Amino acid sequence: MFQRKRSAEDFSEEMQAHIELEAEELKREGLSDEEARRQARRKFGSVRREQERFYMQGRWLWLDKWLRDLKHALRSLVESPGFTITAIVTLALGVGANTAVFSVMHAVLLRSLPVADPDRVVYLRTTAPPNGTGTIETAETFSYADYDALRKQTGAMEALIAYVPLSASKVAVRIGTQPEEAEGDMVSGAFFSGLGVRLQRGRGFTEGDEKDHAPTAVISNDYWTRRFARNPGVLGTTLYVNGDGFTIIGVAARGFDGLEAGQSTDFWIPLQNRLELNAWGNPPQSGKTYMSDPTWWCLRLIGRLKPGITKAQAVEQLQPVFQEAAYTGLGRPAAGEKKPVLSLVDAKGFPGYAEMYGNPLRLLMGLVGLVLLIALTNVAMLLMARNATRQREFSMKLALGAGRGDLLRQLLTEGLLLASAGGMLAWFFAVYATRALGAWAQIESSLAPDDAVLCFTVGVLAVAVILFGAAPLRIALAGGPSLAIKTSAAVSGVDTGKTRIGRLIVALQMTVCVVLLVAAALLIRTLRDLENTPLGFNTDGLVVFDVKPDFHSLEQGREFYRELTDKLRGIPGVESVGLMMLRIGSGASDNNSLLVDGKLPVAPNGGSISIRNNVVGPEFFHTLGVPVLAGREFRDSDTASAPLVGMVNEEFALRFLHGENPLGHTFGPPNMPLKITIIGVVKDHKYRSIDEAPVPMAWYDYAQIPVIGRMSVEMRVHGEPLAVLPAARKAVQQMDPNLPLIEPMTQRAQYDLTISYQVLFARLAGFFGLLAVALVAAGLYGTLAYRVSRRTAEIGIRMAMGARRGQVVWMILKDSLMLTAIGVAAGVPLAMLVGRALASSLYGVTPLDGASYALAVLGVTCVALAASAWPARRAAGVEPLNALRTE
Amino acid sequence: MTTRESTDDRIALLQGTLDLLILKSLVFGPCHGQGIARAIQRQSEDVFLVEHGSLYVALQRLEERKWIRAEWGVSENNRKARFYSLTDAGREQLADKASQWRRLTRAVGLILDATQAEEG
Repeated sequence: MFQRKRSAEDFSEEMQAHIELEAEELKREGLSDEEARRQARRKFGSVRREQERFYMQGRWLWLDKWLRDLKHALRSLVESPGFTITAIVTLALGVGANTAVFSVMHAVLLRSLPVADPDRVVYLRTTAPPNGTGTIETAETFSYADYDALRKQTGAMEALIAYVPLSASKVAVRIGTQPEEAEGDMVSGAFFSGLGVRLQRGRGFTEGDEKDHAPTAVISNDYWTRRFARNPGVLGTTLYVNGDGFTIIGVAARGFDGLEAGQSTDFWIPLQNRLELNAWGNPPQSGKTYMSDPTWWCLRLIGRLKPGITKAQAVEQLQPVFQEAAYTGLGRPAAGEKKPVLSLVDAKGFPGYAEMYGNPLRLLMGLVGLVLLIALTNVAMLLMARNATRQREFSMKLALGAGRGDLLRQLLTEGLLLASAGGMLAWFFAVYATRALGAWAQIESSLAPDDAVLCFTVGVLAVAVILFGAAPLRIALAGGPSLAIKTSAAVSGVDTGKTRIGRLIVALQMTVCVVLLVAAALLIRTLRDLENTPLGFNTDGLVVFDVKPDFHSLEQGREFYRELTDKLRGIPGVESVGLMMLRIGSGASDNNSLLVDGKLPVAPNGGSISIRNNVVGPEFFHTLGVPVLAGREFRDSDTASAPLVGMVNEEFALRFLHGENPLGHTFGPPNMPLKITIIGVVKDHKYRSIDEAPVPMAWYDYAQIPVIGRMSVEMRVHGEPLAVLPAARKAVQQMDPNLPLIEPMTQRAQYDLTISYQVLFARLAGFFGLLAVALVAAGLYGTLAYRVSRRTAEIGIRMAMGARRGQVVWMILKDSLMLTAIGVAAGVPLAMLVGRALASSLYGVTPLDGASYALAVLGVTCVALAASAWPARRAAGVEPLNALRTE
Repeated sequence: MTTRESTDDRIALLQGTLDLLILKSLVFGPCHGQGIARAIQRQSEDVFLVEHGSLYVALQRLEERKWIRAEWGVSENNRKARFYSLTDAGREQLADKASQWRRLTRAVGLILDATQAEEG
């Protein structure tokens, strides 16, 4: 038997019958007709509730209700695609931009290292190292003697690990026959075990490997993928580093990029003690590597605290040992000299990046936060406007017995749908944006959004859902059930309180927009200034690369470079070739005090006497195109046996020779018996980076000084600069088949790298400024269009009373200009505050740059007028009769 | 929503008892909902006041379990009403439940009496 489910009508009929039967019985018991009915009904309670209970019986009430809400919300969103798409895209842009910036900030500043139990991992820091030492990063690098002494203290640390790159950039490697370059670090034996980094293949290093300087290497997952196509047979392969063979014994876990800031290490080898594998790729100083040179503080140290030991306890234990070890081989500290002080910091973010990117990133986060604010209020306003037109629907629902909770649930469901769709789109957007950000910022380490970023995004979306549910609820409830029976459009129209909120929000958005535009304008003008800053020479046609050959003697080195220069000059299309020890535009520089005419110079007004110096070859300035103002530049004939000659720049002459003719004066390092005669003066030009001020400079000829190692080769060519590289590579490899061209690029690209972070910052700020403008325009347009549509009747009446179209248009425009004025009035002072915070990132522009403010104000005004134009036109097009007839 | 859930709980507690009383009141012939409510009230000497919501939910449930069946008919005073009557399965169920109930009340009674004796 198939039983049809009972209909609700059938049930309600039964209820009715029950009440009547009961009434009849009561009447029989002696009650009046009316009284009997009344009591019967009361006894039965709410018929409706019984019906509802009948309906709900055996159903999963909650899920059912929710599904119904969801279906309803989906239908109502699909019914207004314009609104839905606008809301979702707005949300996706706002949330996506925030997710992207947050994930970069998270990776750079907040994220723990991808190691086991990261809470106990700490970086070691120091104050200034002892007098007479050289350092890579004052606060972050230590001597080998420090490391050796500290790691013997096993009381506080489970492991103390040293790591140092094999080169300041990339190091020459070879796997088969073809030379390549890769990023490699020398590390302690406890590197993998102490950090708790798993090996996905093979094994990591041991203490024994460090002690024996074992010829073994571990490669990163990334390098394994990129270079070896994830071939499992990679273990046992020999990796030649600067010509020395290392056997690959392991592959590090996926996601571990090493400990170098913003870089992704390709391979690690145990700490070595060989001249050709010195730390940072430096040429050994008087035959000593970093291990035996106590004056060179070049190792980074990281440690793992024992469980239960605090940083303070560990510092207390290690401090005396550290301060003692700091003076190993240096003699006693000078009177009054401050000993270096050890400290520990949590291993969060990239070391060294907090100082460089911390403030810009926080500012950027603030800017995108403002964009998010605009986006959220925009969507909330859209929802409010949309739901105001649905007021009748809500009133009807209230009149039919829906609770406020039911309405809120419905609104929240709509908000939830919007937020999830927007959120998903935002996530995709963020993944791509993050990749682009990483590429711009030259950060090779993984910036991919991770769980913490996901939490952040979901948190933002949750706020959005609540906002989107709660904001329109007021409007939904405002009408109350009684509105359902009213009919006039005018009566059910805007109530003044709500439009006041709408206007307030638009004014707020204008304010935020002004701030964003000013920030963007300041940064973009900074960028323009930087890009247009003359370098002091022409970079067109300049190409540069490094070579790092192996030498057994100074003479061999000089011979190599002499021959290389000749070979390169012979390549067709090459105009001239110059050599330099430190590549210009790379940010690297060598600065120290020099003796001028045999004594330490005195700078005017007690300024710095530090002189920046470089070692270059013949024709260097001719190659660059830097004019020689007096004397001559280095020539091939300035050999080791010829008189020692040097060159200086204008700033040197101005500061230390007080405008005298520098030719014939001498300079030289204070600790070496070298007296170098100045034979030429060159015009000041940018050396280290685009944004530097002129510094006094001195140049040595590489053929005359007793240090030789890696050099940069600068070539001026006709035509496309990079096209000469294959021929240059052939020339280099004719001399030594092991030598790759290291970091070949145009000289312009090299200088552009020095402002890459300003470029990134300015582009992002510009992008967010535009985004804000677009969002504000959309929001303003939406609000105005909505208000015009609600005021159609009013406008009709005004026009019937004799208002001209021009007056109507002005009425609408006046409205948005007023809001703009408020926004500008509030935004400009705020922008000044932001400008002051930006000051350190500006170049050639002051934080109160008038043009930037004028541009911003002009920008919002244009946006306001553009957004009002269409609604105003529509208002002017209202036909009085039609408008009144709809009543 | 919570209030509704708690009401459902209460029905569940009463369920067995109310089902039994409904089945019993139908032994003497078909009856409509209002008649059943009145009968239970009268026969329990007004101790049980049947809540109508629970009554109709219970009737619905019994019907779904095929212990009772229903059809529209006409009452003594010519009113249209839905009459419920016992099925064979319902009769069996009544016998089962009644003996279960008697065993339960006897056991409870034994315990309560014993306690009284000790205290007395």
